[in-house]
Amino acid sequence: MTLPGRFLAWLRDTLLRMFPHATRPGLRAIGRPGPNAPVLLSGNFTLTVDRLTRVLRGRDAWLLVADSHGINVWCAAGGGHLTHHDVIAVLRSSGIGERVEHRHLWLPQLAATGVERRIVQERTGWRVGWGPARLEDLPAFLDRGQRVKHSERLMRFPLWERMEMALLWAPATTAIAAVVLWSLLGATTAFIGAGSIAVVIFAIFAALPRLPLWGGSRWFTYAGGAVVASLLAITADMALHGPNLLHIGVLGAASTIAMLVLSLDLAGTTPLYPSTINTRGNRFDLVLNAERCTGVADCVQVCPRDVLAMDGKLRRVRIQRPDACIRCGACVVQCPEDALFFRFADGRTLSPTQIRATRMNMLGRRAVVLPAKTLSTEDQAAAEAPRRD
Amino acid sequence: MSSYVYMKLLESTPERYDRGMRILSGNTIDGLWEELAKRIAGPGIRVLDIGCGTGGVTLACARRGARVTGLDKDAGMLAVARAKAQAEGLTATWVEAGVMELEDEVAPSSFDAVVSSLAMSELLPEERAYALRQAREALVPGGRLLLADEAAPITPLGRLGWRLRRAPRAALTWILTGQRTHPMDGLAEEVRAAGFVDVEEERAPAGDFILVSARRGRDT
Repeated sequence: MTLPGRFLAWLRDTLLRMFPHATRPGLRAIGRPGPNAPVLLSGNFTLTVDRLTRVLRGRDAWLLVADSHGINVWCAAGGGHLTHHDVIAVLRSSGIGERVEHRHLWLPQLAATGVERRIVQERTGWRVGWGPARLEDLPAFLDRGQRVKHSERLMRFPLWERMEMALLWAPATTAIAAVVLWSLLGATTAFIGAGSIAVVIFAIFAALPRLPLWGGSRWFTYAGGAVVASLLAITADMALHGPNLLHIGVLGAASTIAMLVLSLDLAGTTPLYPSTINTRGNRFDLVLNAERCTGVADCVQVCPRDVLAMDGKLRRVRIQRPDACIRCGACVVQCPEDALFFRFADGRTLSPTQIRATRMNMLGRRAVVLPAKTLSTEDQAAAEAPRRD
Repeated sequence: MSSYVYMKLLESTPERYDRGMRILSGNTIDGLWEELAKRIAGPGIRVLDIGCGTGGVTLACARRGARVTGLDKDAGMLAVARAKAQAEGLTATWVEAGVMELEDEVAPSSFDAVVSSLAMSELLPEERAYALRQAREALVPGGRLLLADEAAPITPLGRLGWRLRRAPRAALTWILTGQRTHPMDGLAEEVRAAGFVDVEEERAPAGDFILVSARRGRDT
């Protein structure tokens, strides 16, 4: 690749990675796969397919790239852009059935918010399993004979990934502050102010998950961030320009505004906290209708936060870590008995049917497609009834 | 702010789709739907709309008394289509399925006409080949296929002008709805390759659309 091309690719994969970037869907051979090689599936986000290809180097596998509109697997599945329809489409159109002798497809676990595994099985005759949540675990998973360890079901947020997210937030948040500060106080102060904000953003991500980002206590994090950014900026500015009340006031205000921007949905860009913007601040929690649970435990397999566990004695699932739930909805979508649903703080419920129709896309279509009224009456009764039918 | 952009991209907006398509087509989309319905729909005619979206063509056919089935993989789009049908008191069957699931959803020789508007260009070539074969299967012998898609002008100069005129509308549509359409060439050839007869291609009277009509032969 040419140097400018490489630079553009770097920009695409770092600062601009919140924008979709699509690679061609279809079948790809990793190594020299034969008729018994495993079949893995992913979405067509360029960055993901590049990383998959790199991480699987040295192994032989078939990779089905489904059309997820150039969005990463988790976000696409959660937004309704990667569903069982897209999985069935690539299974049939790619001709993979003629290349392999087995009928076993591995889906990324994070696709569970959008892909209904059982529908793919019924329609295509392929056996569908959930692979590891993170692509770095794929080589070990393959070497072990295609078995997923419990720890590979859980989302991690390693330092390098937290730094990637900080790199995504920092320019967007500091750019506006820099422009305003520049016009009011000049270039050096703008540099100092924007730099302090950026340092605090990186520090917040470095300190995760030890800082609260969810619930009322998240304001301690953002207030603390504003104070630290202000102090940093004011100290540096005073060292250069001496004490100046205008500078102190403007730098303090810029730091505060930057932290308010972060508070919009910093939590939602981590795999550890529920999104705050997505629910419009209306808190809801996972509920298990224990009478319906038959203990098939699909939900336990797809939970990336270890919220659900199998109770061996009762042969039923139980909610063991309710506070860890990030409301991704994967368990609700996958339960064949409709035994899981969400309940809002005000008592209204979100049924499995509604979540399967709209995914977790609350800011967008759910509000329009499902007006508040329908969230309360019949659906609530249906969700809480002991049995369906 | 990046979070807002992010949600914007994730958010599918079926309820804004109709508005977006009106902008992109320069207000000619309703005319196109009417034009398609006029050609194939009539009382009692069984019509299948592949990739029906919010039901623009499906409902235009239903208004003419056709017995319509709309198929789309997007549950949100279908919810909007359902609500529109209900508001007008029209009956239609809605099927949530992708194009590659036509074999599961549609019985052979069960439709008099198959229509598809702005959906063929969204598919990969291999998916389109499959969809056209299945469309032929779904039709009774002599049944009609009618496809509409966006098309660019033929002359290079015309193409350039068209691109320039279209760019701002395309950008606006994308911002509002996250929807894009891709103009395509060579559709008539693909229809012929799928075994249809009497294949004809023409420019729609309204807008930059191409219409391909064909029949399933009687001899099969």
